[in-house]
Amino acid sequence: MIPFWIIGAVLVISALWTVTARKPIYSVVSLLLNFAALATTYLILHAEFLAVMQIIVYSGAILMLFVFVIALLNSGIAPILLGRDRVPVAPAAAAALAAIAFVATAIAALHAPAIVPIATHSPLGAVGRGNVFGSIGDFGQALFLSRLLPFEVTALILMVAVVGVVLLAGDLAPYVPTRRRAEQARRALREAILREGK
Amino acid sequence: MMFGCCMANPEHIMGVVGSYPLLIALWLLPLLGAVLCWAFGPQLQRAAGWLATVIAFAAFACTLASWGAGTQSLNGALGADQPLVRWMPGFHLGLLLDPLSLLWACIITGVGALIHLYSIGYMEGDSAFARFFAYMNFFLFAMLTLVLSDNFVGLLIGWGLVGLASYFLIGFWFHKPSAVAAARKAFVINVAGDVGIMFAIFLIVQKTGSIGFGNAFAAADTYGPTLLLAICISLFIGAAAKSAQVPLHTWLPDAMEGPTPVSALIHAATMVTAGVYLIARCAPLWSHDGNAQLLVGTIGGVTALVGAVLGMVQWDIKRILAYSTMSQIGYMIMGVGVGAYEAGVAHFFTHAFFKAQLFLGSGLIIHALSNEQDVRRMGGLRKRLPFAFIAMLVGVLAICGIPGLSGSFSKDAVIQGALDHGHPWLYAVGIVTAGMTAYYMFRMLFVTFFGRYRGDVDPSELGIRHPEFAGTAAHGDADAHESHHAPAWLMNVPVAVLIVPSIFAGWLLYGGANSPWHRFFDPQFGAASILHVPVSEMVTTLVTLACVALGILIAYLRYGTATARDNAVERLRRETVGMWPILTNAFYIDVALDAIFVKTSEALGRLVSRVLDPHVVDGAVREAAITAQWSGALVRSLQTGLVRAYAVFLAVGIACFAAFYAFHGVH
Amino acid sequence: MATSFSGVPIFDYEALASVLFFIGLAGAIARRNPLVMLMSIELMFNAANLAFIVFSRAWLNNAGQIFAFLVITVAAAEAAIALAIVVVVFRSAQQVDVDDVRVLHG
Repeated sequence: MIPFWIIGAVLVISALWTVTARKPIYSVVSLLLNFAALATTYLILHAEFLAVMQIIVYSGAILMLFVFVIALLNSGIAPILLGRDRVPVAPAAAAALAAIAFVATAIAALHAPAIVPIATHSPLGAVGRGNVFGSIGDFGQALFLSRLLPFEVTALILMVAVVGVVLLAGDLAPYVPTRRRAEQARRALREAILREGK
Repeated sequence: MMFGCCMANPEHIMGVVGSYPLLIALWLLPLLGAVLCWAFGPQLQRAAGWLATVIAFAAFACTLASWGAGTQSLNGALGADQPLVRWMPGFHLGLLLDPLSLLWACIITGVGALIHLYSIGYMEGDSAFARFFAYMNFFLFAMLTLVLSDNFVGLLIGWGLVGLASYFLIGFWFHKPSAVAAARKAFVINVAGDVGIMFAIFLIVQKTGSIGFGNAFAAADTYGPTLLLAICISLFIGAAAKSAQVPLHTWLPDAMEGPTPVSALIHAATMVTAGVYLIARCAPLWSHDGNAQLLVGTIGGVTALVGAVLGMVQWDIKRILAYSTMSQIGYMIMGVGVGAYEAGVAHFFTHAFFKAQLFLGSGLIIHALSNEQDVRRMGGLRKRLPFAFIAMLVGVLAICGIPGLSGSFSKDAVIQGALDHGHPWLYAVGIVTAGMTAYYMFRMLFVTFFGRYRGDVDPSELGIRHPEFAGTAAHGDADAHESHHAPAWLMNVPVAVLIVPSIFAGWLLYGGANSPWHRFFDPQFGAASILHVPVSEMVTTLVTLACVALGILIAYLRYGTATARDNAVERLRRETVGMWPILTNAFYIDVALDAIFVKTSEALGRLVSRVLDPHVVDGAVREAAITAQWSGALVRSLQTGLVRAYAVFLAVGIACFAAFYAFHGVH
Repeated sequence: MATSFSGVPIFDYEALASVLFFIGLAGAIARRNPLVMLMSIELMFNAANLAFIVFSRAWLNNAGQIFAFLVITVAAAEAAIALAIVVVVFRSAQQVDVDDVRVLHG
C-alpha cells in the first residue's frame, strides 16, 4: 500500500513536470522518470512482459527518438521560436467538462454491479514465477496462440509507419523532377506557413 | 358468350401458344426496311422506294401465309399466340394473330404495299425520297405492333409509335410552317389519347394484376359497373383521339398537309381506324357495359353527322375526303360501339379500299395539276384525266352505298346494327348521314370533273380571297414536280388494283348468317343478342337508298345540270362568299378547344412563370443556397487549423461517449 | 471479484490513471511546442495502458495486457511518424509552433 502511494506521487509529479517544463529536453527527462515508475506499477500488477517492454520500447526507443529530434532542431540555423502558451477559454471549459465526464464514467464503471472475471487462464502467483498469470510464458502463449492475428496486425502497422516516415522525412528529390522544383515547392510551403501564422 | 375460350385456360392466353416464325417475320420486316432505308438512303436513292415496297409486299405475303395460324381454333383458343418476353406473372409480351388482327394486318400490309408502289411515282424527285420510305415502313411496323400485340402495353407502344410515324409524315415537308403546325397538333391530341389508354391499363392492372388481353377479358364480369365504365371511357378517349371522333377530330383535316399517299395510308385506311380496332378488341368489356356502348355509339353517330356536314362546305379536295373519312369512321365507331362488331369491322374493311382509292385518285389529280387542291380551280377534268375520273367515280359510288358496291353492304349493316341493338336515333342519324355523304361526294365529283376547266380563272372571280385559308396554297415540293405530266403507270396500277375490292369486297357480307364474313368472325365475336325489330334489312337498304338518291339529286341540281355547269364560276363565287361562317369555321370547335385548353394552359403558364417559378421554385433554390452558405460558414469557423482546438473537439467527443456509458451502463 | 489487490483498491489505480490522462490532455491542449504535445499524448497512452493492465489484473484475463501491447506498438508508430512530420515542417518553415501551421484552415 505504501509503495503504491510513493509510486503514484512520482507518476503525477513527473507528468506535471513533463507538460509544464520550459525546455523540451526537460520534458523528456521527466517523462523518462514517469515511464520508469509506470514500469514498476506494471510489475506490481503482474504484467511482467509489459514492464520490460515499457523500459525497452518507451524509454529506450521512443524517448531516444525525441531526444534526437530535439538535438536536430536545435542544431538548425534558427532556434525554435515559440510564443506564450495560450489556453483558450472555450477549449479549457470543454476540457473541464470532459474531465468531469471521465470522472463520472469511472465512478459509474466501478460501482457497476456486473464486473465478473471473464476467464482465468492461469493461477495467480508470485511475480517472477513461471506458468502463473502475467508471466512471460503466459503472455507469450496468449500472444502467439489465441491473439495471433492482432499481433500480425501490429507488424503491418509498424511497416506502414516505416514507409510513411521514409516518405515524409526522406529526400524530396525522387518525387519532384528537378532540384529547382523541389526548392520551389519547399519555399512555397514555407511562405504559406509564415503567411498564415500572422 | 364471348371469349369463352379464355375460361378453359388458367393463364387466359387468347391464342394457341406456339412458335410462329412467319408472324415474327411479318412484324419485323417493315422495321428492317425502315432501318435500311434510313441508314442507306443516300446510297439507295430511288432503290429505297423499291426496297420498301418489296418489303411491304413480302409482309403481305407473310400475312396471307399466316392465314391458317390466325384462324386456327384449339380447345377454345382462337388464333396464334407467339410469346416474346416473359417478365413476371401477368406481365408477358407477345404477338397475337386472331381473325380480328389478321384482318387488320391484311389491310395494313396489302393496301400499304399498294400505296408504297404508288408513292414511288408520287414522290419521284422529292429531295427526301428515301426518308419518306423509311417513315412509311416504320409506320407499317408501328401499326403491326399495335394490332398484333396480345397485351395492352404492346398495344400502347404501337399506339404511340403510329402517332410518332404520323407526326413524321404529316410534317414530312417540314419547310412548310403549316405542315409543322399540323404535325404538332396531331401529335399533341394523339398523346392526350395515349394518356387515356394508359389510365385504362392502370385500372386493369390494378384489378387483374395482368396486362394480357386474355386475363383482362376473362375478368370482364368482375369489374363492377363503376370501374368498367371508367376503363371503357379511358380506352375510348384514346380511341377518339386516334380515330378523330368529336371533339378530338380537329387534327385530321389539318393532317392533310402531309403527302397524299400518307393521307391515303395513315389518315384514311389504317391508323385512324385504330380506335375501331381497340373497341372491337375490347368487345368483351363493352358488351358488359350498356352505358359505355351508348356513349361510344352516340359519339360515333355525332361524328358521322358532323363530318358529313363539314364535308359539304369544303373546297379543298383532300379536306373533303378528310371530313368524309371522319364521318365514315364515325359509322365504324357507332357500329362497334353499339355492339354490332362485325358490321363496324366490315365497314373498316370496305372503307380501307374505297377511301384509299379516293385519296390515291385525288393524288393523281393533284399530281397532274401541279399540287392544285382547290376543287373550284379544277373542273372539266373528265376528259383530261379519264383514268382518275373512273377511279374517283367508283370510289364515290362505293362510299355513297350504291347497291352492289362494297360500301352499301357494310354501311347498311352498321345502320341496321344500330337499330338491332336498340338505338333508333343512331339509326336515323346513319340514314341522314348517308344522304349527306352522297351529296358532298357527288358535289366534289361534279365540280371537279364536269363543266369547264377553271384553273386559268382569276381566283378572285371564284371568291377565293385568302388562298392559304381556302386551301389553294401550292402544296408540296413545288420545284420537285414538273407541271402537268401524266401519272406514271406506277401510280395507275395501285389505283386500278384497288378498284376491284372497292366494288366487290362487300359481297363477302352477302348471305347473312351464311356469309363468309360471319363465318370468319363468328369464333371471335360470337352471336350477339339482338332485338327483333320490325324493320328488315331490305327496308333499311331502301330507305337509305332513297336518302342517297335525294342527296345525289340535290348535288346534281346544284352542280351537275347544264345551266349549273355553264354558270359555274359565278355560282361558286356566290357560294363561297355566302357560306355561313359557322360552317367555314367548322362549328368553332377549334376555337373552343383553343379557348378551353390552350388559353387556360397559357394562363396557367403565365401564372407559373410570374408567381410560382420566381417566388416558390427559385425561392426554394435560393434559400437552399443561402442555407448551405451560412451553415458552411458556421462549420468552417470550426476549422481553425489549430491542432490543439481539434484535440479539444476530440476530447469533448470522447467525453460525450463516456457520459453516455456512465448514465446508461456498458451493456 | 478482487476489488483490491495488495491492499490497494481498484478505484485508487483508476483514479491515478485518470489523473495521468488529464495531465496529458491538458498538456496536449495548452502547449504549442509540438514535441511537448507529442509527449503529452504519450502520457495519455500510458494512462490508458495503466487502466488496461489494472483491469487485466482485476479480472485475471491477459487480454488487457495484449491490448496494452498493441497500444505500445501504435504509440511507437505514431511517435515515429509525428516526429517525421515535425522535422519536415521545421525544414520548410524554420519554426515549430503548431498554431502557425494552419495552411488548411477553413
